[in-house]
Amino acid sequence: MGKSTRGVWLSPLFNLFLIVFSTLFSTVVNANNLPPHTVSGVIKDTKNEPLAGVSVLVKGSTNGTTTNGEGKFTLADVPDNGTLVISFTGYASQEIAVKGKSEFLVSMELTTLNLDEVVVTGYGTRTKKDVTGAIAQVKVTQLENENPPSVQDALRGNVPGIVVTASATAKGGGNLQIRGKNSISGVSSPLIVLDGVIYQGDLSDINPNDINTIDILKDASSAAVYGAKAASGVVLVTTKKGTGSKPSIGFNSNIGLATLAMDEPLYDGPGFVHWRSDVLKSQNITTAKPYQYDDPRQLPSNITTAQWLAYDNSSPTADPVDIWLTRLKLLPIERENYKKDKQTNWYDMMFQTGVRNDHTASISGRKQDVSYYMSANYNHNQGYLVGDQFTTYRIRINLEAKAAKYLTAGLNLQYADRDESQVPVTWGQMVNASPYGEVYKADGVTLRDSPNDDVGNNLNPFLDNVYTNRLRKFNTLFGSIYLKGQLPWGFSYQTNFTPNFEFYRNFNGTSAKDFRVSARKGVASRQNRTTFNWQIDQLLMWNKTFGQHRFDATFLFNSEKWQQWDETMTNEGFDPNDNLSYHNIGAGIKPVITNNDQVSTGDALMARLNYSFQDRYLLTASIRRDGYSAFGLKNPRANAPSVAVGWVMTQEKFLENIPFLNYAKLRFSWGVNGNRDIPGNLARYGALSDLTTGKYQLITPSGQIVLVSQLYVNRLQNADLKWERTTSFNGGLDFSILKSRISGSFDAYRKSTKNLLVTRVLPDVTGFTSVLFNIGEVRNQGAELSLSSINITKPNFTWRSIATLTVNRNKIIHLYGATNDYDATGKVIGKSEKDDPSNRWFIGHDIDAIWDLKVLGVWQQNEITEAAKYGVRPGDFKLQDVNNDGKFSDADRQFLGFRNPRFMWSLRNEFTFMKNFDFSFLIYSSWGMSEEFNQAKNNGGFIDRQNSYKVPYWTPENPINDYARLFSSNGSAGFSTYRKTSFIRLSTMALAYTVPASFLGRAKIQNLKVYVNVNNLAVYQPEWNWWDAEFRVNPPTDRNIIPPPRYYTLGVNLTL
Amino acid sequence: MKKNIKYITGTALIAGILCGSLGCKKEFLKPEPLSFYEPNETYVDAAAMKAALYACARNMRIEFYGGNPPILTEMLFSETSVEGTTDKSGPAQDLNLVITPDLAGFEDDDHNKIYTYWREGYAAIKYANTVISRINNATYASQAERNAILGAAYFHRAYRYYKLTNQFGDVPAIFREITAPQLEFYSTKREVILKQIKLDLDSAFGWCSDNVNRGEVTKGAVGHLLTKVNLALGNFDDAITSANAVINGGVYSLMKTPFGPAAPPYYFPAGSTKPVSLPNNVIWSLHRPENKSVAENKEGLFMIIDRFGDGQFGTGMTIMRQAVAFWGSNVNAPSGKKGTYDNLTAELVQSNYYGRGIGRSRPTNYSQYEIWTDPNDLRHAKGNWMNMEDLLYNDPGLKSSNDVNYLKNLQLRNASGGLLTTDTIRSWFGWPHYKIFVDDNENSPKQGGHSDWYLFRLAETYLLRAEAYYWKGDLQKAADDINAVRTRAGCAPIIAAQVDMGMILDERARELFFEEGRKSELTRISFLFAKTGKVAETGKTYTLDKISDDNYFYDRIIARNNFYKNKIVTNHGDKYTISPFHILWPIPTRAINGNIEGKYKQNKGYTGYDPTLQSLDIIP
Repeated sequence: MGKSTRGVWLSPLFNLFLIVFSTLFSTVVNANNLPPHTVSGVIKDTKNEPLAGVSVLVKGSTNGTTTNGEGKFTLADVPDNGTLVISFTGYASQEIAVKGKSEFLVSMELTTLNLDEVVVTGYGTRTKKDVTGAIAQVKVTQLENENPPSVQDALRGNVPGIVVTASATAKGGGNLQIRGKNSISGVSSPLIVLDGVIYQGDLSDINPNDINTIDILKDASSAAVYGAKAASGVVLVTTKKGTGSKPSIGFNSNIGLATLAMDEPLYDGPGFVHWRSDVLKSQNITTAKPYQYDDPRQLPSNITTAQWLAYDNSSPTADPVDIWLTRLKLLPIERENYKKDKQTNWYDMMFQTGVRNDHTASISGRKQDVSYYMSANYNHNQGYLVGDQFTTYRIRINLEAKAAKYLTAGLNLQYADRDESQVPVTWGQMVNASPYGEVYKADGVTLRDSPNDDVGNNLNPFLDNVYTNRLRKFNTLFGSIYLKGQLPWGFSYQTNFTPNFEFYRNFNGTSAKDFRVSARKGVASRQNRTTFNWQIDQLLMWNKTFGQHRFDATFLFNSEKWQQWDETMTNEGFDPNDNLSYHNIGAGIKPVITNNDQVSTGDALMARLNYSFQDRYLLTASIRRDGYSAFGLKNPRANAPSVAVGWVMTQEKFLENIPFLNYAKLRFSWGVNGNRDIPGNLARYGALSDLTTGKYQLITPSGQIVLVSQLYVNRLQNADLKWERTTSFNGGLDFSILKSRISGSFDAYRKSTKNLLVTRVLPDVTGFTSVLFNIGEVRNQGAELSLSSINITKPNFTWRSIATLTVNRNKIIHLYGATNDYDATGKVIGKSEKDDPSNRWFIGHDIDAIWDLKVLGVWQQNEITEAAKYGVRPGDFKLQDVNNDGKFSDADRQFLGFRNPRFMWSLRNEFTFMKNFDFSFLIYSSWGMSEEFNQAKNNGGFIDRQNSYKVPYWTPENPINDYARLFSSNGSAGFSTYRKTSFIRLSTMALAYTVPASFLGRAKIQNLKVYVNVNNLAVYQPEWNWWDAEFRVNPPTDRNIIPPPRYYTLGVNLTL
Repeated sequence: MKKNIKYITGTALIAGILCGSLGCKKEFLKPEPLSFYEPNETYVDAAAMKAALYACARNMRIEFYGGNPPILTEMLFSETSVEGTTDKSGPAQDLNLVITPDLAGFEDDDHNKIYTYWREGYAAIKYANTVISRINNATYASQAERNAILGAAYFHRAYRYYKLTNQFGDVPAIFREITAPQLEFYSTKREVILKQIKLDLDSAFGWCSDNVNRGEVTKGAVGHLLTKVNLALGNFDDAITSANAVINGGVYSLMKTPFGPAAPPYYFPAGSTKPVSLPNNVIWSLHRPENKSVAENKEGLFMIIDRFGDGQFGTGMTIMRQAVAFWGSNVNAPSGKKGTYDNLTAELVQSNYYGRGIGRSRPTNYSQYEIWTDPNDLRHAKGNWMNMEDLLYNDPGLKSSNDVNYLKNLQLRNASGGLLTTDTIRSWFGWPHYKIFVDDNENSPKQGGHSDWYLFRLAETYLLRAEAYYWKGDLQKAADDINAVRTRAGCAPIIAAQVDMGMILDERARELFFEEGRKSELTRISFLFAKTGKVAETGKTYTLDKISDDNYFYDRIIARNNFYKNKIVTNHGDKYTISPFHILWPIPTRAINGNIEGKYKQNKGYTGYDPTLQSLDIIP
């Protein structure tokens, strides 16, 4: 439209100016107040018990309050002809006309279905009854007894259709995935929208205490307003706003403990020696002599010590125990400590009981035309791993001022200071560390390089923790400044300007005291990275009712720019010493400087129409057009249309008289979404060819070293790169039966993703291993069920349940298109589409299907000749040779299961008893998936030089069929063994006591609650018995297992 | 007033939308690279073209550096060495079992590096093709500069194809830059590729100069490689001509006296914790890291450069870790106690002088005993060559227990003749200390730090020319060339009657340990026996149509390599085996899988071999 590209830069500044200017100008003419009218009242439940915390709001305004501990409220500035909207979670909302009255007595009824609940739909809100798409909501305020420590924890197990991976670190968190994996190698995590604007920051910068609700847009129609970015669903986080006319001061304090939830024991000293002798017997299976590796003090009568010593020509006068331990490859320190029975319990030294602190203070309220919510939070968590910790300070300011009747200006500001400088102990080394090794050298204070002085194999687990000096800090500022107002003829508008900063410092110094870098005289690095992105949203809304026709239209224009400046300097060889660590990087002799700057831009146009007739027939239609610079060579833009209809059946005559059916709405939607998220370093420039630079050295004829730059093409250009595109159908039913005692939603969907962003493998002879490509088709289909019920309501006891069920199936429909088939003479005999075995992608199979050689069991003693045909021996795994050619190749690989759960369910139960006690627990489960379990091979690492977990192993005397012998041979096969990782988890259990209002009396306390909760209380894993399969370092990229944590929390919630 | 406000805000809103809408312009969405170079705008001058050549040069290093460097895989398919790590399943020992197309794709240090040769070979071919295809897009100071750059690119490409055709036989021939995704490739016949690179090298030899920095392509290196290619093609006269040009060019000569700044060799007498110096000698000084690229060294034809500093190659070669015996373990003193200690907290830190070896590259009886027939051979002299008996018992446990053997020389057997080591494969063998010792200031204990490496050295040019004379039957001239190398090392000369291919290969084994790709050379020679029908010293003749069933490669290895010959079994229970079809490596499954629309010729003996499939007769 415009001509000057400079306008792009002007626009954010201009918008800011626009907002400030209009706000100031409008304030001057604010002169439309109604005469004051104060109303008050009491709100009770059907048992005549007062209800605290009920929201009372003047309809069509932001003027509202909440009831106190005695169920009372007072609200000023209520117009005579106004309507009060009274709502409370779990109770049916009511609208009461004021009609000049000033005293109200309201009775509220418990319900599982609240059709007037407001749901956030993206660029606006709707009441639940008007919604046509598949949207789920979590009321985070309702989870306060469980004090979810992160956004992810609030979602885990509480919404069907969303998978939240577990995290075991002090930081916590996890990754989100909605309705299955629809991108093969692209990113499958949903778009995060915070208070109405797209949020690209870290979820841990959002204080869960500040969150009011989280809405999840699951189907294409709901998500289509976020168009080409929304193929993996949308998570909308809405923070709290000030409501009550009196300032409300809140404190939420939690003190907790982090412990290991499960033990996976290692051998202690004697167990280790016994195991090691079995290792040596298995390792030297062809040469071992009778009792050669057994304790010489327990030889059978037919073997003399002299004979035993002569096995390896040891001196007849030698100490047999010494010889024995030498045969077991125990090193001097181990032998010495064995004799002294001096053991080191590495396991216990790796784990601790970590202390967790999470404290939030907030103040909120509204005064005349200004509403405010401000909070400050301090969060310091120690993990269960020694050295693991996480600290963050978070501040939020939400302000909204009504500048004129037609103009409101607001600010949502979030600042976080996040410290991730932790250097945990290298706990994985505890397996390598000998129980007869030691932590310190002879001086008792200097760390031993290796517990048993075998640095080639195992390192002291404390080296990193002690010798790494690290500062790793994030400072983030996310703000949204907005202006909204009313225009004539039912129009309204909103402008958002959203700047987002991240300042990141990652400084590391590895001390020269660490033997690994002592020869290099210390190594240090400093990385500084600044990220800045801005977005502008311009929204125009139109809302009009003509008789029984209601219209609600939204138009959006959005533009964004993302920039990053990243530089790293490293050095080593510090002189005279490295005592200053990274604080004096210039003192080294091998400086290396690198940097990486990146930029990307995007824009969008969107229009949406909601229409309803008689509140019975509902229609939503939208279209969005997105642009993104990563596809800018040829295909920057993509369109995302959608349409959805809803039919409130129970409003029809023929269904009115069914007694048990209170409400039923059928929904159907179709829509297209896109995905632009490309993983890793291809994210912004994957379509472009790039030249990798690096250094090489030459020597001049005079002997001088010169540093030269090398340059090579690292990436193949693909100018045709474009948006990934997902088309989905969703059918749903919302229902409520038996006087709304039971309500729920059922959704079924089919999503088909095309033009997948794939790092496609190229023939390596091109010199390129892969190229970013749009290719193939993946289909996800599944169903979700969510049920709420009120099981018991007795004066002193209520019991509510919420259950969810999720099923998703995933299938690759196409990969690279049909290619020629040839017969033996090279003649083309047809066309077919080929699988991609190098990526393990097969048409008609799950993306995460497991394709490998099948383990049939373990070769037993009587099968020695059969095993020898495959180059292995009894105790090694017996694999299925499908084509019986005596060799193992792809021809023998088969489908052995799935990495994704076949189905997932969750069950939440909430109890209220003796009026003031709340008790809840959540169980969730994933079922039917498998994972690699190569511990069963008993041949990882150098097991003749280290310790081990107590994992079963085959021996001639213990001829088991599911674990191989120690040091088993893989023969000619490259394969993994697998086990099912199905589980049922008792995830959280919480008990809360609300101090009765009568106790609080005149202490000016509105509300006081004390609670305790336990997280990750128990797990049942029928087929997996090595740690907890759900806990991984960083799925899906790092699927290594990390021990599971358990958290105990004591919290108090106080409102003044 | 009220109405005015409406209009003012309304106007402001529309203005805002218009203003923001500037983003709609297409320019706004143009990708803008900030921190990386774009090929078309970069390869426009000699500097950028040279930078592409440096990528080729740096790629050369991969063969010799790091954990389980690829050169070891070449060595274990020969008479000289086997894989010596005896404590796990996976290493290339039972070749009949583990050299499969599937397992050839495993590149971790516990397997083999067959796939690394394939992938990195084609990566370097890509770098070279970039220069060759774009040679006329750039501007140069002179035609000579252009030609020198093109010649260097031809050299780099030819070197990789020489290796690939002698490792895998028929392979895909990519002789142009690939700028768009392509999924259909076929193998081209080995000989067709060799002919093409001969043409390229003939041009390059006229264009390249010796007056360049060490690390860059020299005329001498081109001539040397051309000699190998000429030999491979059976053009023996051409081979003699190209070798003559290098040997008689006046630039290069064999080093015959000690030189350079490096300190002399040393040894430890029993009881001593301090090394004692030995007289310097030419072999020692020729292979010292400090001396390899000095101006007075006239023997290096092509140098791979690796010095401390920002060469972006990690923490050195780790060559001592590979090729030194695992002497710190499994070695007991006669008392039965642990005898040796390769960590840093001993009174005598022996690993500072010899490195901490893990015995991955295990010499055979052939390379550690049988070829050392001349008592004056400097390459096997005390101080240059290490036997286990030259090490001292240094375990601190011996000292603290006042063991009589503390700081005494190691012994293999006790007084009653019993073995004192539990693993003679991995922990008891000798090694050429003069070549393997590379001091290390970055790893502790020392594993082998930074050092330049000879890719081509004039001594090998003599042996190549000797080979050409042998094929032509001119045994006297062959003997003269072998003697040039022998006498420099202090050995007595041989006579013409002693010359056969075995003698030439013996001399190569003595001279070129850890320098030559032994398997590639054996394969090349075996193809020549099959092609010429010449009677080998085995008494046999061979044919090309049976090359994978009956060949010189296998007969030579099985006669000389005692591990494969005797099917020795490791403590771990793995048997050493080899077969005739190993003359060519399998094309790894992971390489085949990427070629979705085309087809490579798999070699005979491996899963996927299809006798009906023909390789191309052309460079496509």
